Amino acid sequence: MKVQIIIAFVVVFAITSCSKSLDVPPETTLSSATFFKTESDFKQAVNAAYVPLRSIVNDRAWVLGEMHSDNTYYYRNILFGNTENYENVADFSIPTANGITTNSNVLNQYRLDYQIIARTNQILAQIDNGDFDAVSKADLKGQALFLRAYAYFELVRYFGKVPLHLTPVTNRSEAALPLSSSDSIYAQIIKDATEASQSLLPKSAQEAGRATSGAAKTLLANVYIEQKKWAEAETLLRDIVNSNEYSLMPDYNDVFSTSTTNKNNAESVFEVQFMEGSGGYSGNFLYNFLPQPMTATELQAITGVSNPQALSGAGASGEGNNAPTPDIIAAYEPEDKRKEASIAYVTLSGSLRENKVYPYIKKYAKIHALYNNTGINWPVYRYAEVLLFLGEVLNEQGKGSEAVTYVNQVRDRAFGTGVSSITTTSQPELRDIIFRERRVELAFENKRWFDLVRSGKAVEVITAYGNRVKSHPEDYYYPAGTVPPNNAFTNIDLVYGLPADEAALNPNF
Amino acid sequence: MKERILKKMQCILIPLYLLFITLPASAQFNKVKGKVTDENGKGVPGVSIQVRGSQGGTSTDAAGNFSLNVPNGNETLVASFIGYSTKEISVNNRTTVNITITPDTKALGEVVVVGYGSQLKKEVTGAVQTVNAKELKDLPVSQVTQKLQGRLAGVQINQTTGKPGQGMSVRIRGQLSVSAGSDPLYVIDGFPITGNISSLNPDEIQDISILKDAASTSLYGSRAANGVVLITTKKGRKGQTNVSLNTFAGLQQVPQRGRIQMMDAVEFAQFKKEYYEDAGQPVPAEFQNPSQYEGKNNDWFGALLRTAPLQSYNLTLTSSTDKVSTALVAGVYNQEGVVINNTYKRYSLRMNTDYAISDKVKIGFNLAPSYVFDNTPRTDGDRGTGILFNALHTWPVMPIYDENGQLTEFNRFPESTGNIFDYPNWVRAAYELVNETKTTNLISNTYLQYQPVKGLTLKSTFNIEYLNSKFFFFNPSTATNNINVPIPTTAATIRQNTENVTWLNENLATYSKSFNDHNFELLAGFTNQRFHQDFTRIQADTYTDDRLPTIQGALNINRGGTNNDVNEWSLTSLLSRLTYNYKGKYLFTAAFRSDGSSRFGSANRWGTFPSASVGWVMSDEDFFQKYRKISFAKLRASYGVIGNNNIGNYTQYALVNNTVNAVFGNTVATGAAVTSLANSNLGWETTKQFDAGLDLGLFNDRIQFTYDFYVKNTTNLLYNVQIAQESGFGNFNDNIGEIKFWGHEFAVNTRNTTGKFKWTTNANISFNRNRVLALADGIDRVYGTFHITKVGQPFGQFYGMVAEGVYMNQSDLDKNPQIPGRSTIGSIKLKDVNGDGIITNGGDNDDRAIIGSPFPKFTYGIVNTLQYGNFDLSVVGSGSYGNQLLVRHLYSTANLDGVFNLVKEVKYRFRSEANPGKGFYGTTVGGGNVTGIERDWMNSRFIADASFFTIKNITLGYNLGIKNKVFSSARLYGSIQQVYVFTNYWGGPNPETSAQGDGNGDGGNLSQGIDLSNYPVPRTYTLGINLNF
Repeated sequence: MKVQIIIAFVVVFAITSCSKSLDVPPETTLSSATFFKTESDFKQAVNAAYVPLRSIVNDRAWVLGEMHSDNTYYYRNILFGNTENYENVADFSIPTANGITTNSNVLNQYRLDYQIIARTNQILAQIDNGDFDAVSKADLKGQALFLRAYAYFELVRYFGKVPLHLTPVTNRSEAALPLSSSDSIYAQIIKDATEASQSLLPKSAQEAGRATSGAAKTLLANVYIEQKKWAEAETLLRDIVNSNEYSLMPDYNDVFSTSTTNKNNAESVFEVQFMEGSGGYSGNFLYNFLPQPMTATELQAITGVSNPQALSGAGASGEGNNAPTPDIIAAYEPEDKRKEASIAYVTLSGSLRENKVYPYIKKYAKIHALYNNTGINWPVYRYAEVLLFLGEVLNEQGKGSEAVTYVNQVRDRAFGTGVSSITTTSQPELRDIIFRERRVELAFENKRWFDLVRSGKAVEVITAYGNRVKSHPEDYYYPAGTVPPNNAFTNIDLVYGLPADEAALNPNF
Repeated sequence: MKERILKKMQCILIPLYLLFITLPASAQFNKVKGKVTDENGKGVPGVSIQVRGSQGGTSTDAAGNFSLNVPNGNETLVASFIGYSTKEISVNNRTTVNITITPDTKALGEVVVVGYGSQLKKEVTGAVQTVNAKELKDLPVSQVTQKLQGRLAGVQINQTTGKPGQGMSVRIRGQLSVSAGSDPLYVIDGFPITGNISSLNPDEIQDISILKDAASTSLYGSRAANGVVLITTKKGRKGQTNVSLNTFAGLQQVPQRGRIQMMDAVEFAQFKKEYYEDAGQPVPAEFQNPSQYEGKNNDWFGALLRTAPLQSYNLTLTSSTDKVSTALVAGVYNQEGVVINNTYKRYSLRMNTDYAISDKVKIGFNLAPSYVFDNTPRTDGDRGTGILFNALHTWPVMPIYDENGQLTEFNRFPESTGNIFDYPNWVRAAYELVNETKTTNLISNTYLQYQPVKGLTLKSTFNIEYLNSKFFFFNPSTATNNINVPIPTTAATIRQNTENVTWLNENLATYSKSFNDHNFELLAGFTNQRFHQDFTRIQADTYTDDRLPTIQGALNINRGGTNNDVNEWSLTSLLSRLTYNYKGKYLFTAAFRSDGSSRFGSANRWGTFPSASVGWVMSDEDFFQKYRKISFAKLRASYGVIGNNNIGNYTQYALVNNTVNAVFGNTVATGAAVTSLANSNLGWETTKQFDAGLDLGLFNDRIQFTYDFYVKNTTNLLYNVQIAQESGFGNFNDNIGEIKFWGHEFAVNTRNTTGKFKWTTNANISFNRNRVLALADGIDRVYGTFHITKVGQPFGQFYGMVAEGVYMNQSDLDKNPQIPGRSTIGSIKLKDVNGDGIITNGGDNDDRAIIGSPFPKFTYGIVNTLQYGNFDLSVVGSGSYGNQLLVRHLYSTANLDGVFNLVKEVKYRFRSEANPGKGFYGTTVGGGNVTGIERDWMNSRFIADASFFTIKNITLGYNLGIKNKVFSSARLYGSIQQVYVFTNYWGGPNPETSAQGDGNGDGGNLSQGIDLSNYPVPRTYTLGINLNF
């Protein structure tokens, strides 16, 4: 009898446990069903949308925007292979067929921009339904719009035509879209940036480091300039100047952040934020910009780190990148203080070259504590560029005499007040002056390639530069007896090919 | 060192031998004579006659006569002959004892364990192969799967590394999945375990059934697609009490043959000298005179290896009375690895008890705790992390020991010598890094069985599996397993704690009934299983004192490596099976399982898995009686649907990662991003399998033959489909695609000779094939780093450039397609597969092609056992034919830039048009721009034939004919494991290796067959003793 009771008990137990739900959601991860409800949720989502910018400016943008110009080259280290993803960009020899390339820098840039776009799309699709403070909501929405506009502006300038995603993807069939024309992408960028410039807080009211109304206006002005809509740009740029939110730092050396201080200073309009330490928010672009092989002692002299290591094989490609070319060095006028602030020299005892002295980018070479780990911010827009933009749009509209005043604000800092002021008001002369002024003022800030394309001079300038590299490889840091690859400077396209890995997944291109 | 180990062994073995010396050497015997006749009254020669409970004995002569000494007149004689029932007859003080033996149907009367029950072997309609523990004795290995190598048709078992307690890959019928697991389901005493089978003490096993087709496995439903291995542990046997001690001890060594031939110090210095000379550059002082390194070679790989001992002790007690039957197995296994500082120890205990409360009610419980300690240096892995790989390519001119005989810390030559890496001392890494895992495991089964009426059995079981695994890693400041890290390095620790609890409740009812030659059995049941895992990991670094690697002793807690996690799943199932036969001749089985799983999407929660099978015992038909030579013949066929639910616990959900943090100024701001897409339709992988088989017995079952043909289609493969990343996501978890598998399996058991000299052979051969029939819409291929999986082709094929030697001269260079900017005279020549005139690598239309396959054309095994008098010998061989391996380490060990040590063959590289070498390795001139091609571009030079035949084991045993008050029997044996590998494989010592995601590949089944020079498999010499008390 006892036995029957036990059996009955076991059976009942089993049946009750059977009816327990089979729903076992994850305990240690949030899922999207419960997210995107509160102000905090949206704030966190906006924060995450900034994150890809770190990788973009740390790893890619200087490859595609600076090394892909006559400003910088790579420090050839013949012991390394597998460096073509960097070298091909600098050598204008990216293998491209039918508008498709396998270059990994191109691929990663593309994917990172779309990561920003996907994250902002998630926010923008749902934030209007969020029930929280309208001011905060407008600011968060503005940040998302700014970031989406920024990402599309990068894409349209790098690639011309790209897919236009404006809503979150929810399943596989929505993942790949056809290419949109650059006109429709520009229209969307203008729409987003305009709305952002209206809903974002001004710098004085915004948490330092976030997008501001001034940043959105600068971005929008940049877009209009790209499209030669000078009057529209002028209005925005005057707004920024008249807002009194920004001013030039008195000393050019102080424009750039250190690893821990001087971030988001008075001149800063928008910069990508890094933080030194083991939290995973640090950058290391400085290390990628140094020639190799560098001994620990030589490195310590530049970085001041307490735990120096020899620099060889570190960094992205196995050899140093973003080496200032003789061309950019020559572009500085005598007495221009910016030259010394931007470029310095180091002697490498282990160099395989006869001339063991190399130039390197100094403006970001700030001392810090940890090896390969810096908190140096990356400048995206700063007030000096706003002034040069304003000078440019005024000159293009025939207002040369007013244009000169803004250009001279920038030059006064570089040479001393009134030392080397621009006086000409001739439109073509002034255009050339501003073009060169942008080159030296904004050197190594990933502006050069876009300026070359925008000015229509890219093919002419790069062809001449390529001939110099090929005829004098030793001037471009090649060890004696070694020469650039025989396909160097054979592919001077104004846009990059679309990435092959994405082409394989998108039937539309 | 070696001597010390031998001494150790003596300490262990000598006391055992002493036991024998004290045994009484003789006793008084009486003589018994007699004749053995068959059912027709004819004398039978070669029948073995023994006194029950003793060893030795005699066999009958040509006329069937025998004579034998017996200790006294109360003994019982045992007559046994292959193909006949064993007969026992008591002497009863007679001097003449005649015995009649009758043909045996025992082989067919054998009972086979199948899912949720057992069946007569004769009546099994599925593809089931069984292995008895007796066949597996004597093999000096730690894992049961190692013991199964070579014995099973259709089951490919590879030993991918020689690490004690690790590295066995088991694939039943070639089953593969893109991203869900491919290991079979292991069921111990009816309990599908979630832990690792390698911690099970093989001595606890009574027998093993391998279920291969859908009809056999479908009762395991959504977990059955990879096949099922049923393990039954030891039970007490009626009326017997037996105590036995099994122990062995031995030594392991890595054979010289097969090791990768690297340059020695002089050869390397010579290479470096030539490197600079060929480039027209000044030779660095260190290499101007290679002969200075004469006698100063440093064999870094060899320095990590040692001769290592292993020992095993097992005490088994089985006892059974009318009411209680008990089996107890206590085991200690202690193996030092052949890599220095590698230790594996297992302590295990099993207590199985059954108790009959009444005729109708039985309860039972099994309790099996075990503890495993494992410390393994970080041996395996890709360049930079695995110390064996790192040791291979470390410069042999760099000293392992300094002038004081101390281990160097790290080595670096001046930059000008091309040394761009720091080489830490790998021997130091092996000794000083702590990489230990302590695993406590407890499996328990409890059941209550009730038979209310005859034929009806109700059974409830409750099973718990508990696993606690503590992992501790400590990297002191004085050593590292990573290349290019100078010493002192930052000391770091990882502490990881995993706790799994699984419980399973099963409630089964079985009803069997026979009438008029119709036999029915009906099974029905429902089960519930739940799994819960807690995981905590803390990573800390920067210690001021290496002696105290506590968490609180660290200056920094590494946030990125510190996390905790909970993983859960639950499974609720209904199952039923009907077995019917008519006269034991026409056989039919139908089974059905329905699984509801928390892993499946909300819209797709329940899966159903039906199967049916039929069998026909032809040899029982009247018309068959004229084929006297065919003693048994059965035809089988089955079809069924099974699933694979190894799809991850939460893959159906869209997850939000809330550690995507931003920084503003110097403040961290928490960020959250949706990192995956939800799929509420997500489900199990479905496999539909058809099997047809033939079982034959010839010449009174002296030859037993089994053939199976199967074909199965796996659909709804769980696949994290790559999607365009413009979506913001890389992948979408979906059920897509279709793979077809098919194959033939042959197994034959023969008794070649009987009588005094007995020789039996078991041989098997299997041909497994697969082909991808579909992937996702719009996707016809999936690229791995070195592999491609493409519709119309087998899974995961090697994919890369086709090497065609080197460009021998300018005209060769001019008339052949080149790599723009990189090809020169003497550089690798690659095939222009797409015919566009230039060589490109990357994209869908480049010059890559399928250049090899990791899948064998066939696998085979052969086991021979011989017995003569008191001697027995067994030889086990296992082989594979037609598979290839990617010799991945060549990207370092044949790096022509001379930054690493090189394989000897590089001596015969292209040096000039006049000295072009063997055409395999190219010129060193031009630096990485040139040499990088043959190193970094996956090409056919890296592919090597990995066919092999390995003599896995030879064991020679001797039964001591002892019988005294202490022992009832004793057996002494010597055994060699991994005796010899016959192979043309040149990439390393182990043609069975496969890195499977440990290395640079993309992991899993899409990238099989990568040789990263993993832990070598040693040859093991052992001596052992079995004692029965």
